[in-house]
Amino acid sequence: MTAAIEMRGIRKVFPGVVANDNVDFSVEEGEIHALVGENGAGKTTLMNVLYGLYHPEAGSIHIRGKPIHIRTNSDAIHAGIGMVHQSFKLVPSFTVTENITLGAEPTTSVFVDRKTARDNVVRISEQFGLKVDPDARIRDLPVGVQQRVEILKTLYRNADILILDEPTAVLTPQETRDLFGVIRSLVAGGKTVVFITHKLREVMEISDRVTVMRDGKVVGTKATKDTNPAELARMMVGREVLLRVKKEEASPKDVVLRLDNLKVRDDRLLMSVRGISLEVRAGEIVGVAGVEGNGQRELVEAIVGLRPAAAGSITIGGKDITHQSVRVRRESGLACVPEDRYVRGVALQASLQENLIVDSYYKQPHCGGGLLNLKEIGDFSNDAIEVFDIRTTGKDVPAFTLSGGNLQKVVLARELSSQPALLVVAQPTRGLDIGSIEFMHQRIVDARDKGAAVLLVSAELEEVMSLSDRIVVLYEGKIVGTVEAAKASEEGLGLWMAGITEGHAVPHSRGEKEALDA
Amino acid sequence: MPKSFGGILRRFVNLGLSILLAILVGSLIMLWYKRNPVEIYRLLFMSAFGSQRALFISLQRATPLIFTGMASMLAFRTGVFNVGVEGQFFIGAIMGTFVGYAVKLPMILHLPLALLTGFVAGAIWAYFPTIMRQKLGISEIVTTIMTNYIATYLVSYLVNYPMRESPTTAQTPPVKATATLTQFVEIGKGALGKGSQAHVGIFIALAVVAILYFIFKRTKLGYEWRMVGLSFPFSQFGGINLDRTFIGGMLVSGGIAGLGGAVEILGVWRKYKDLFAIGFGFRGNLAALLGRQDVIGTTVAALFYGSMEAGAMGLDWAAGIPRQLIDILVGLMIFFMAAEGMWDFLGRIKIGAASTERRTTGQES
Repeated sequence: MTAAIEMRGIRKVFPGVVANDNVDFSVEEGEIHALVGENGAGKTTLMNVLYGLYHPEAGSIHIRGKPIHIRTNSDAIHAGIGMVHQSFKLVPSFTVTENITLGAEPTTSVFVDRKTARDNVVRISEQFGLKVDPDARIRDLPVGVQQRVEILKTLYRNADILILDEPTAVLTPQETRDLFGVIRSLVAGGKTVVFITHKLREVMEISDRVTVMRDGKVVGTKATKDTNPAELARMMVGREVLLRVKKEEASPKDVVLRLDNLKVRDDRLLMSVRGISLEVRAGEIVGVAGVEGNGQRELVEAIVGLRPAAAGSITIGGKDITHQSVRVRRESGLACVPEDRYVRGVALQASLQENLIVDSYYKQPHCGGGLLNLKEIGDFSNDAIEVFDIRTTGKDVPAFTLSGGNLQKVVLARELSSQPALLVVAQPTRGLDIGSIEFMHQRIVDARDKGAAVLLVSAELEEVMSLSDRIVVLYEGKIVGTVEAAKASEEGLGLWMAGITEGHAVPHSRGEKEALDA
Repeated sequence: MPKSFGGILRRFVNLGLSILLAILVGSLIMLWYKRNPVEIYRLLFMSAFGSQRALFISLQRATPLIFTGMASMLAFRTGVFNVGVEGQFFIGAIMGTFVGYAVKLPMILHLPLALLTGFVAGAIWAYFPTIMRQKLGISEIVTTIMTNYIATYLVSYLVNYPMRESPTTAQTPPVKATATLTQFVEIGKGALGKGSQAHVGIFIALAVVAILYFIFKRTKLGYEWRMVGLSFPFSQFGGINLDRTFIGGMLVSGGIAGLGGAVEILGVWRKYKDLFAIGFGFRGNLAALLGRQDVIGTTVAALFYGSMEAGAMGLDWAAGIPRQLIDILVGLMIFFMAAEGMWDFLGRIKIGAASTERRTTGQES
């Protein structure tokens, strides 16, 4: 049997880094092939080479045994390869049909034949069981459905081999399950699927075979049934990793953070947090689960002081800080690892050292009488680099030279240096590799054990479940459920995240409704 | 990603290449007008650096540009585009003049008072656009441009009517000797700076440079200015008071511009003549751009720009070449420097020529 894809000796170099080093990769006809590895292992680069977006320095590609020279993106599409990127490439104001046929519209002389276009879309979507409304506008559709449109786009262009780049990163557990159904029906319809991910649970669930990459090289390829998550994790990082966080039983003490009927508006001035009351005690981690966009961002910004509270109150350590400045809140014991690492967490153009002192530059020991104490600041920075194992050539290099994981360590080092009474952590491990995730998790638990009250907001259900002592689920700006982490099940949380409590659907907006119906 | 040393090196290479390219394009323009570029560049160089007199004229021309350059640079660094340096410079100049002729004090008080008045006047002038941005959200770029017009015509009115001395020319009474900044030619009885009006105000300019350098490097205030300039969201998240930092930076920027205006009057002109100088503010903006919004870089750029102007004056006298040619040359330099991406691009083609270039904005997993 000839392989659907056969890539041999692929080498791709970016300035300063070998992204693919003599990579051999082959995919059998009709299989679901998982491609896994840490961030920066070279997975996406390899697939971009296959899809004609990058030119390799060396190596050859065969499609169904035939050598093929992929010079451009359209060569790849012509060879039957389709790719769904992490960030979708759709026009929000266009309909599903328009997006799918864009650039390859059926025409009658000079006009777009809308009816044929629509019929084609309906035919393909029925053929593979990808239910979508061909006339809905993209901006009204939930993420899971948008992804389906992306898949249809590739099918419309007659792709036989589909590359999905981390397709589950943006999905709820239910949407992920739907996606897996779609993938299975694609394979049943004769397609071949390459599935990039770094979530091992998904690999075990969906794939037939799995290829592991590390540092630009292929570590090995295994039949999924002959391997297990622990072995794959070991292959990915080259050592044993703990998939569950090691932590003792929590011993909660006094209430540190108290939210009382808090309401917050979003950028469009719509009420996004709609009355949240919550207490977080010293020495416990309270996890906030929920599909993104249900008020988490606004909640965190209101607590930190970046967004005004529309109603209700926020108290830290008994002090009402609802209308106080960020500075006053930080002085009251608040620290925060923000969601947008590259925007709020660090200033990319500033040096590592400057990034480490933004919360402490104005007070002893870093500053006296308006003058910075450069010696103290330098010692502090060097300590932080050592203690947090920040991989850098020195404290004076600009932050943009650091990798994502190391930048997050910079943020964490700074925020923990104030010995905070309250630590708010938003999406702490998004986009990080397993090694960095483990490090972050351990530090968050350490902060708890030192007596901090921790509020963890994360879209990763697994993360919330393994770190938290107590879990609340946010849906449409309200807490729809609270549960001890030990008693929580993924299934139950997933239902809450979709707005379903006690078998009844919570009233919800149109977009969410379609997500359920679809 | 460039390491800091490589970055500095590349910046120098870029600067050299930009100057070279500007000279080349400038030569083409001269050839077009049937002039000998080699001869013109030689004259330009001689009039800027070729004699003691030339050097002092360069210094004189550079002095106001250091002030307006520092003012622009400071605003840039705190994340604001202060196009109003021009107007703040005029307001500082006219108020400095007023204190210079209307007040009677011993020199030890009079001169500092006149300078301080220039600083405060410039700062107050900068306050209006600042507050309009803070309270009403109006872009400071628009408002500072508008306040420039107001400043220009307001000062013109003052010189033509209330503050006018002579019925024949639109100018104020001369400032008293107790408020003047000594010219070098006055110190050395003609031994130094003969034929120029260079004055000790250059030391005030250099003091401003030194103070700003120190503030940015060593103080809490400088850290706030820098961080706010580099990233609003980051600074806000860290607890820096954005409003206070922004307003403070803008006021000091306007103050430095106003001080520069007062220094220029008290050192060179010693009375305010209508339209005595136009474009110091804008050239300061350009110096800050050429100097990459860096204290030292902007100072060097201002000195360079000043000497080019001295050279241009020499050209005008000696060969009848319009001084606008120099504006074209400097414009070209900024144009080529701004095209930093172009150098990277050319470099990449060279590297990539043997193999292939990247086709898209690279996304790494």
